[in-house]
Amino acid sequence: MITRRSILVVPTVVWAGIFFFIPLGLLIFYSFGQIDIFTFDVTWGWTFENYQRIIDPLYFKPIMRGVGISLLATSMCLVIGFPVALWMSRLSGIAQSLLLVAVMVPFWASFVVRTYALVNLLSDGGPVADALQAVGVGNGAPGIMYTPLAVAIGIVYSYLPLMILPLFVALERIDPSLLQASADLGASSFRGFRRVTLPLAAPGIVAGCVLVGIPATGEYVIPAILGGGKTLLVGNVIADQFLKLGDYPFGSALAVALMLALMAVLVIARSRLRNAEDVA
Amino acid sequence: MRRPSLVAVIAITVVTLLYAPIVLVIINSFNADKLLVAWGGFTTEWYSEALSDERVRNAFMTSIKVALLSTAFSLVIAITAAMWTRRALAGRRRLFDATTFLRIILPETVFALGLFLLFARYDIPLGIPAIVIGHVVFNSAYATIIIQARFSTMDTTLESAAADLGAPPWRVFRRVTLPLILPAVIAASLLVFSFSFDDVVTSLFLGGTNAETLPVLLLGMIRLHVTPEVNAIGVMVMLTTTALFAVAAGVISIRSAAGARASAKQGRAT
Repeated sequence: MITRRSILVVPTVVWAGIFFFIPLGLLIFYSFGQIDIFTFDVTWGWTFENYQRIIDPLYFKPIMRGVGISLLATSMCLVIGFPVALWMSRLSGIAQSLLLVAVMVPFWASFVVRTYALVNLLSDGGPVADALQAVGVGNGAPGIMYTPLAVAIGIVYSYLPLMILPLFVALERIDPSLLQASADLGASSFRGFRRVTLPLAAPGIVAGCVLVGIPATGEYVIPAILGGGKTLLVGNVIADQFLKLGDYPFGSALAVALMLALMAVLVIARSRLRNAEDVA
Repeated sequence: MRRPSLVAVIAITVVTLLYAPIVLVIINSFNADKLLVAWGGFTTEWYSEALSDERVRNAFMTSIKVALLSTAFSLVIAITAAMWTRRALAGRRRLFDATTFLRIILPETVFALGLFLLFARYDIPLGIPAIVIGHVVFNSAYATIIIQARFSTMDTTLESAAADLGAPPWRVFRRVTLPLILPAVIAASLLVFSFSFDDVVTSLFLGGTNAETLPVLLLGMIRLHVTPEVNAIGVMVMLTTTALFAVAAGVISIRSAAGARASAKQGRAT
């Protein structure tokens, strides 16, 4: 039934329908099509060929490499972000607000510029190369630009606040008396951390990993700047199919596969979150 | 005094490292040494070069146009949507919120390429309108969530009173609803404007050769290793977006403080 109130939802339905859901449907539709490599005409054959090509080592290897870099970056974010969030949760009042702002401000700076800022640091003869040479690791001081590590560092640098915030929210909620109790009962501070803090922080860990991991998988700009076209994430592999090679059906199949994989991750994360809340 | 804990030391190091690259960009934007390998003296040459570069100016104007248009469309969509969800049935509300969430969480690369496919299929030219269409998809979702949050802290008493006193719906909206949600609307506009101004992926895929926004131009310059000017443009862009975000954060915190005070007052009254 169309009531006068329903009119209010029309702009969203129209915009999201035409410019979000139809394009996604089109991706699914194209992913079953075939393309003539000479004329670029797309024909419909309801073929699974495009999906089979994903498993072809020629494509599967770089895709898994991209997934690996995203996972590496997400775990680096967690390891680096956790101490920051933990310290933030132990502070109070103005100090806490200041630290929160200090973590957020670089996040407000332009995305391209922030990623570009790392180029100066990571390239040959830059401070990082100098430091590595000083320690005696990097012989002849080649920078780490255009390596998977550079791309992972770029992701960490850009997405760290998205990890720290949910961790902080989860850690903040933990009642300090629980840690006190575990200490009184003779647990070492490490044991207290492992048996009390970590399980109670689980919802924050899951949320942070989802918030960082999902955009990191589809990331396009960071590898374009720090990977030098050699180190690609899944997002670049897909975009190249459309923009450079013009193979829409295969690009669509990759995009659909990525969507399905991310949906699966989201569903699992949600059920984990629910379990964690039940425990807590 | 207690010695600083390991956690504190790590945290301070991490936060310091967050600023190091940005500080280096700011320093290099004033560095007269063209190759930026050493400090070659102070100069504002790169800034005047950037400001007099016609391509930079055009890209800046394109970015402003895109951001203004996408903010306007996003606000209309978000305000109407948030008003609808206030009285929507629970099931429909959940479905609606899920689609809002989906527009934010799905990697931009995927849906921007879907739109690219749509435009290619129907021969719709790429350019400013195409970029705006893409930005509104996710920006309207962010704006919807911010305005929904504002609505969730207020009830419909004042609006019902206005309606009872004979005000037609449009007048109720303009004289009662809009002033009440204004802080959220301002915060949403600032955030959405800067998201649009800062966006690379959608602007790159949907701009084609017809429209080049500032971040897309910067990406191209970085790939071609045009360094000194990039630093200067980068500092100016950073200042713009940081200022917008700071104002937005200020508006949001004032709003939540006001909201807390209002609900405290209500609590006392009942």
